[in-house]
Amino acid sequence: MAASFASKWFLAGRSLLGALRNNSLGLLRTSQEMTCSDFLSQQQRTFIQMRTNLKVVDNSGAKRVMCIQALKGKKGARLGDTIIASVKEAQPGGKVKKGSVVYGVVVRAAMQRGRCDGSEVKFDDNAVVLVNKQGEPIGTRVFGPVPHELRKKKHVKILSLAEHIA
Amino acid sequence: MRLEKCWFCSSTIYPGHGIQFVRNDAKIFRFCRSKCHKNFKMKRNPRKVKWTKAYRRLHGKDMTQDSTFEFERKRNRPERYDRNITENTLKAIKKIDKVRVDREARHHAKRMKGKKAKEQREAAKELEQSIHMVKAPVALQQEPSLTLPKIKVKVSQQQAEENRMEE
Repeated sequence: MAASFASKWFLAGRSLLGALRNNSLGLLRTSQEMTCSDFLSQQQRTFIQMRTNLKVVDNSGAKRVMCIQALKGKKGARLGDTIIASVKEAQPGGKVKKGSVVYGVVVRAAMQRGRCDGSEVKFDDNAVVLVNKQGEPIGTRVFGPVPHELRKKKHVKILSLAEHIA
Repeated sequence: MRLEKCWFCSSTIYPGHGIQFVRNDAKIFRFCRSKCHKNFKMKRNPRKVKWTKAYRRLHGKDMTQDSTFEFERKRNRPERYDRNITENTLKAIKKIDKVRVDREARHHAKRMKGKKAKEQREAAKELEQSIHMVKAPVALQQEPSLTLPKIKVKVSQQQAEENRMEE
Protein backbone atom coordinates (compact mmCIF):
# COMPACT_ATOMS: atom_id res chain seq x y z
CA MET A 1 0.00 0.00 0.00
CA ALA A 2 2.63 2.47 1.11
CA ALA A 3 4.86 1.54 -1.79
CA SER A 4 2.08 2.21 -4.27
CA PHE A 5 1.42 5.58 -2.66
CA ALA A 6 5.08 6.44 -2.93
CA SER A 7 5.16 5.59 -6.57
CA LYS A 8 2.00 7.63 -7.18
CA TRP A 9 3.51 10.64 -5.47
CA PHE A 10 6.62 10.28 -7.54
CA LEU A 11 4.59 10.07 -10.72
CA ALA A 12 2.53 13.09 -9.77
CA GLY A 13 5.69 15.10 -9.21
CA ARG A 14 7.00 14.04 -12.59
CA SER A 15 3.78 14.91 -14.37
CA LEU A 16 3.63 18.31 -12.65
CA LEU A 17 7.15 19.08 -13.79
CA GLY A 18 6.28 17.87 -17.27
CA ALA A 19 3.20 20.06 -17.35
CA LEU A 20 5.26 23.08 -16.34
CA ARG A 21 7.76 22.39 -19.09
CA ASN A 22 4.95 21.95 -21.59
CA ASN A 23 3.40 25.22 -20.52
CA SER A 24 6.57 27.17 -20.97
CA LEU A 25 7.04 25.62 -24.41
CA GLY A 26 3.46 26.40 -25.30
CA LEU A 27 3.94 30.05 -24.35
CA LEU A 28 6.99 30.26 -26.57
CA ARG A 29 5.14 28.64 -29.43
CA THR A 30 2.20 31.00 -29.18
CA SER A 31 4.50 34.00 -29.34
CA GLN A 32 6.08 32.57 -32.50
CA GLU A 33 2.67 32.04 -34.02
CA MET A 34 1.78 35.62 -33.23
CA THR A 35 4.80 36.84 -35.17
CA CYS A 36 4.05 34.76 -38.25
CA SER A 37 0.30 35.39 -38.24
CA ASP A 38 0.73 38.41 -40.53
CA PHE A 39 1.80 35.97 -43.23
CA LEU A 40 -1.32 33.94 -42.58
CA SER A 41 -3.71 36.85 -42.95
CA GLN A 42 -3.12 37.28 -46.65
CA GLN A 43 -5.53 39.16 -48.84
CA GLN A 44 -8.41 37.13 -50.20
CA ARG A 45 -8.11 37.01 -53.99
CA THR A 46 -11.31 37.88 -55.87
CA PHE A 47 -12.73 38.20 -59.36
CA ILE A 48 -11.72 40.89 -61.86
CA GLN A 49 -14.58 43.30 -61.31
CA MET A 50 -15.38 46.95 -61.85
CA ARG A 51 -12.50 49.24 -60.73
CA THR A 52 -9.91 46.44 -60.71
CA ASN A 53 -6.59 47.79 -61.92
CA LEU A 54 -4.75 45.50 -64.33
CA LYS A 55 -1.28 45.56 -65.80
CA VAL A 56 -1.09 45.58 -69.59
CA VAL A 57 1.45 43.02 -70.80
CA ASP A 58 1.74 43.84 -74.50
CA ASN A 59 3.26 46.63 -76.62
CA SER A 60 -0.02 48.39 -77.42
CA GLY A 61 1.13 51.45 -75.49
CA ALA A 62 -1.17 51.20 -72.47
CA LYS A 63 0.49 50.62 -69.10
CA ARG A 64 -2.42 50.25 -66.70
CA VAL A 65 -6.12 49.78 -67.35
CA MET A 66 -9.11 49.72 -65.02
CA CYS A 67 -11.87 47.19 -65.54
CA ILE A 68 -15.25 48.82 -66.16
CA GLN A 69 -17.24 45.75 -67.22
CA ALA A 70 -16.76 42.00 -67.29
CA LEU A 71 -18.37 40.52 -70.38
CA LYS A 72 -19.06 37.15 -68.76
CA GLY A 73 -19.98 36.03 -65.30
CA LYS A 74 -22.20 37.52 -62.63
CA LYS A 75 -19.46 38.17 -60.10
CA GLY A 76 -16.77 39.27 -62.54
CA ALA A 77 -14.14 38.03 -64.92
CA ARG A 78 -11.62 35.27 -64.27
CA LEU A 79 -8.54 33.93 -66.00
CA GLY A 80 -9.15 33.87 -69.76
CA ASP A 81 -12.30 36.02 -69.75
CA THR A 82 -12.73 39.22 -71.76
CA ILE A 83 -13.32 42.56 -70.07
CA ILE A 84 -13.98 46.14 -71.10
CA ALA A 85 -11.49 48.53 -69.54
CA SER A 86 -10.53 52.16 -69.55
CA VAL A 87 -6.89 53.11 -70.09
CA LYS A 88 -5.53 54.86 -67.01
CA GLU A 89 -1.84 55.12 -67.89
CA ALA A 90 -0.37 55.02 -71.37
CA GLN A 91 2.98 55.61 -73.00
CA PRO A 92 3.11 58.63 -75.33
CA GLY A 93 3.00 57.65 -78.98
CA GLY A 94 1.32 54.28 -78.40
CA LYS A 95 -1.56 52.76 -80.32
CA VAL A 96 -4.04 53.47 -77.52
CA LYS A 97 -4.45 56.77 -75.70
CA LYS A 98 -5.16 57.49 -72.07
CA GLY A 99 -8.87 57.57 -71.35
CA SER A 100 -9.92 55.36 -74.27
CA VAL A 101 -12.20 52.38 -73.74
CA VAL A 102 -10.66 49.08 -74.83
CA TYR A 103 -11.35 45.34 -74.78
CA GLY A 104 -8.89 43.02 -73.07
CA VAL A 105 -8.30 39.34 -72.30
CA VAL A 106 -7.27 38.47 -68.73
CA VAL A 107 -4.08 36.44 -69.23
CA ARG A 108 -2.97 36.31 -65.58
CA ALA A 109 -5.12 36.39 -62.47
CA ALA A 110 -4.10 36.14 -58.83
CA MET A 111 -7.33 34.30 -58.06
CA GLN A 112 -7.03 30.57 -58.65
CA ARG A 113 -8.90 29.00 -61.52
CA GLY A 114 -9.80 25.34 -61.90
CA ARG A 115 -8.26 23.48 -64.79
CA CYS A 116 -9.93 20.87 -66.95
CA ASP A 117 -8.39 18.01 -64.92
CA GLY A 118 -9.54 19.40 -61.56
CA SER A 119 -6.30 20.98 -60.36
CA GLU A 120 -5.97 24.72 -59.95
CA VAL A 121 -3.69 27.43 -61.28
CA LYS A 122 -2.93 30.93 -60.02
CA PHE A 123 -0.55 33.70 -60.98
CA ASP A 124 1.39 36.48 -59.33
CA ASP A 125 -0.62 39.46 -60.61
CA ASN A 126 -3.62 40.54 -62.65
CA ALA A 127 -2.60 41.18 -66.24
CA VAL A 128 -4.43 41.83 -69.47
CA VAL A 129 -3.71 41.80 -73.21
CA LEU A 130 -5.61 44.40 -75.20
CA VAL A 131 -7.68 43.13 -78.13
CA ASN A 132 -10.10 44.70 -80.57
CA LYS A 133 -13.79 43.83 -80.76
CA GLN A 134 -13.08 40.84 -82.99
CA GLY A 135 -10.65 39.41 -80.42
CA GLU A 136 -7.41 40.08 -82.32
CA PRO A 137 -4.59 41.50 -80.21
CA ILE A 138 -3.74 45.18 -80.72
CA GLY A 139 -0.06 44.80 -79.83
CA THR A 140 2.48 42.54 -81.50
CA ARG A 141 4.19 41.11 -78.43
CA VAL A 142 3.03 39.47 -75.19
CA PHE A 143 5.23 39.46 -72.08
CA GLY A 144 5.38 36.89 -69.31
CA PRO A 145 3.62 33.55 -68.90
CA VAL A 146 0.07 32.94 -70.12
CA PRO A 147 -2.17 29.91 -69.42
CA HIS A 148 -2.90 27.30 -72.07
CA GLU A 149 -6.63 27.71 -71.40
CA LEU A 150 -6.58 30.64 -73.86
CA ARG A 151 -6.65 28.07 -76.64
CA LYS A 152 -10.06 26.96 -75.44
CA LYS A 153 -11.21 30.59 -75.51
CA LYS A 154 -10.02 30.89 -79.14
CA HIS A 155 -7.17 33.29 -78.43
CA VAL A 156 -4.54 31.27 -80.29
CA LYS A 157 -2.83 34.44 -81.52
CA ILE A 158 -2.02 35.51 -77.94
CA LEU A 159 -0.69 32.03 -77.20
CA SER A 160 1.60 32.08 -80.23
CA LEU A 161 2.94 35.52 -79.27
CA ALA A 162 3.55 34.54 -75.64
CA GLU A 163 7.02 33.86 -74.24
CA HIS A 164 6.00 31.12 -71.82
CA ILE A 165 2.92 28.94 -71.62
CA ALA A 166 1.94 27.63 -68.18
CA MET B 1 -0.03 10.58 -67.67
CA ARG B 2 2.61 12.75 -66.08
CA LEU B 3 3.17 12.54 -62.33
CA GLU B 4 4.68 15.72 -60.92
CA LYS B 5 6.48 16.24 -57.63
CA CYS B 6 5.27 18.67 -54.99
CA TRP B 7 7.62 21.64 -54.67
CA PHE B 8 7.34 21.64 -50.89
CA CYS B 9 7.12 18.04 -49.69
CA SER B 10 8.33 16.19 -52.84
CA SER B 11 5.37 13.83 -52.84
CA THR B 12 3.83 12.69 -56.10
CA ILE B 13 1.00 14.79 -57.53
CA TYR B 14 -1.50 12.76 -59.49
CA PRO B 15 -3.55 14.46 -62.23
CA GLY B 16 -6.36 16.63 -60.91
CA HIS B 17 -4.80 17.17 -57.50
CA GLY B 18 -3.37 20.25 -55.89
CA ILE B 19 -2.72 23.77 -57.07
CA GLN B 20 0.02 25.32 -59.12
CA PHE B 21 1.37 28.82 -58.77
CA VAL B 22 3.03 30.49 -61.75
CA ARG B 23 5.49 33.22 -60.82
CA ASN B 24 5.99 36.16 -63.21
CA ASP B 25 9.29 34.70 -64.41
CA ALA B 26 7.27 31.64 -65.53
CA LYS B 27 8.62 29.32 -62.83
CA ILE B 28 5.90 26.87 -61.88
CA PHE B 29 5.48 25.81 -58.25
CA ARG B 30 3.28 22.75 -57.89
CA PHE B 31 1.74 21.78 -54.56
CA CYS B 32 0.13 18.46 -53.67
CA ARG B 33 -2.37 19.89 -51.17
CA SER B 34 -3.34 23.09 -49.41
CA LYS B 35 -0.99 22.26 -46.52
CA CYS B 36 2.04 22.59 -48.77
CA HIS B 37 0.61 25.65 -50.52
CA LYS B 38 0.02 27.41 -47.21
CA ASN B 39 3.52 26.60 -45.99
CA PHE B 40 4.87 28.08 -49.22
CA LYS B 41 2.81 31.23 -48.71
CA MET B 42 4.25 31.50 -45.20
CA LYS B 43 7.69 31.52 -46.89
CA ARG B 44 8.86 28.43 -45.04
CA ASN B 45 11.95 26.65 -46.23
CA PRO B 46 11.19 22.98 -46.95
CA ARG B 47 14.71 22.09 -45.77
CA LYS B 48 13.83 23.36 -42.32
CA VAL B 49 10.37 21.78 -42.00
CA LYS B 50 10.73 18.35 -40.48
CA TRP B 51 8.03 16.43 -42.33
CA THR B 52 9.27 17.19 -45.83
CA LYS B 53 11.38 14.90 -47.95
CA ALA B 54 13.99 17.64 -48.35
CA TYR B 55 14.55 17.77 -44.59
CA ARG B 56 14.72 13.99 -44.25
CA ARG B 57 17.23 13.70 -47.07
CA LEU B 58 19.33 16.54 -45.74
CA HIS B 59 19.50 15.10 -42.24
CA GLY B 60 20.27 11.53 -43.24
CA LYS B 61 16.89 10.11 -42.27
CA ASP B 62 16.26 8.63 -45.70
CA MET B 63 18.35 6.89 -48.29
CA THR B 64 19.83 9.47 -50.63
CA GLN B 65 22.17 7.64 -52.95
CA ASP B 66 20.81 4.48 -54.41
CA SER B 67 20.71 2.92 -57.86
CA THR B 68 16.95 2.36 -57.57
CA PHE B 69 16.35 6.12 -57.78
CA GLU B 70 17.87 6.21 -61.24
CA PHE B 71 14.75 4.64 -62.74
CA GLU B 72 12.43 7.43 -61.65
CA ARG B 73 13.40 10.27 -63.96
CA LYS B 74 11.76 13.00 -66.00
CA ARG B 75 11.93 12.25 -69.70
CA ASN B 76 10.78 14.84 -72.19
CA ARG B 77 11.02 12.56 -75.22
CA PRO B 78 8.22 10.02 -75.64
CA GLU B 79 9.41 6.45 -76.03
CA ARG B 80 8.45 4.59 -79.19
CA TYR B 81 6.06 1.82 -78.21
CA ASP B 82 7.55 -1.64 -78.24
CA ARG B 83 5.54 -4.53 -76.86
CA ASN B 84 8.53 -6.50 -75.56
CA ILE B 85 10.08 -3.51 -73.83
CA THR B 86 6.76 -2.62 -72.21
CA GLU B 87 6.33 -6.17 -70.96
CA ASN B 88 9.81 -6.24 -69.49
CA THR B 89 9.30 -2.87 -67.87
CA LEU B 90 6.10 -4.00 -66.21
CA LYS B 91 7.90 -7.05 -64.87
CA ALA B 92 10.83 -4.99 -63.66
CA ILE B 93 8.65 -2.49 -61.77
CA LYS B 94 7.70 -5.04 -59.12
CA LYS B 95 11.22 -6.32 -58.69
CA ILE B 96 12.77 -2.86 -58.47
CA ASP B 97 10.16 -1.80 -55.95
CA LYS B 98 10.94 -4.82 -53.78
CA VAL B 99 14.66 -4.07 -53.94
CA ARG B 100 14.04 -0.47 -52.97
CA VAL B 101 11.79 -1.36 -50.05
CA ASP B 102 14.34 -3.87 -48.76
CA ARG B 103 17.15 -1.38 -49.00
CA GLU B 104 15.08 1.24 -47.21
CA ALA B 105 14.32 -1.21 -44.42
CA ARG B 106 18.01 -1.98 -44.11
CA HIS B 107 18.84 1.72 -43.99
CA HIS B 108 16.25 2.25 -41.26
CA ALA B 109 17.55 -0.69 -39.25
CA LYS B 110 21.08 0.66 -39.51
CA ARG B 111 19.95 4.08 -38.42
CA MET B 112 18.05 2.71 -35.40
CA LYS B 113 20.83 0.36 -34.34
CA GLY B 114 22.01 1.88 -31.06
CA LYS B 115 18.67 3.32 -30.02
CA LYS B 116 17.58 0.76 -27.44
CA ALA B 117 20.92 0.75 -25.64
CA LYS B 118 20.91 4.55 -25.61
CA GLU B 119 17.40 4.65 -24.13
CA GLN B 120 18.39 2.20 -21.41
CA ARG B 121 21.50 4.17 -20.61
CA GLU B 122 19.45 7.35 -20.28
CA ALA B 123 16.87 5.65 -18.09
CA ALA B 124 19.60 4.29 -15.81
CA LYS B 125 21.10 7.76 -15.52
CA GLU B 126 17.76 9.32 -14.67
CA LEU B 127 17.15 6.70 -12.03
CA GLU B 128 20.55 7.34 -10.51
CA GLN B 129 20.11 11.11 -10.49
CA SER B 130 16.59 11.26 -9.10
CA ILE B 131 16.46 8.27 -6.77
CA HIS B 132 16.19 10.70 -3.83
CA MET B 133 12.62 11.53 -4.94
CA VAL B 134 11.53 7.98 -4.18
CA LYS B 135 10.77 7.36 -0.49
CA ALA B 136 11.17 4.00 1.13
CA PRO B 137 7.89 2.36 2.32
CA VAL B 138 9.08 2.43 5.93
CA ALA B 139 9.57 6.20 5.78
CA LEU B 140 6.03 6.66 4.57
CA GLN B 141 4.65 4.69 7.49
CA GLN B 142 6.69 6.70 9.98
CA GLU B 143 5.98 10.14 8.49
CA PRO B 144 2.23 10.53 7.72
CA SER B 145 2.69 13.94 5.98
CA LEU B 146 4.20 12.21 2.95
CA THR B 147 1.02 10.34 2.12
CA LEU B 148 -2.38 11.69 1.16
CA PRO B 149 -4.83 11.84 4.09
CA LYS B 150 -7.42 9.11 4.11
CA ILE B 151 -10.92 10.45 3.50
CA LYS B 152 -13.96 8.36 4.27
CA VAL B 153 -16.75 8.59 1.72
CA LYS B 154 -20.28 7.53 2.55
CA VAL B 155 -21.68 5.07 0.07
CA SER B 156 -25.41 5.21 -0.51
CA GLN B 157 -25.87 1.60 -1.38
CA GLN B 158 -29.22 1.36 0.38
CA GLN B 159 -31.02 3.55 -2.16
CA ALA B 160 -29.63 1.68 -5.12
CA GLU B 161 -31.03 -1.55 -3.75
CA GLU B 162 -34.43 0.05 -3.23
CA ASN B 163 -34.49 1.27 -6.81
CA ARG B 164 -33.74 -2.20 -8.05
CA MET B 165 -36.62 -3.55 -5.99
CA GLU B 166 -39.01 -1.10 -7.60
CA GLU B 167 -37.99 -2.17 -11.05
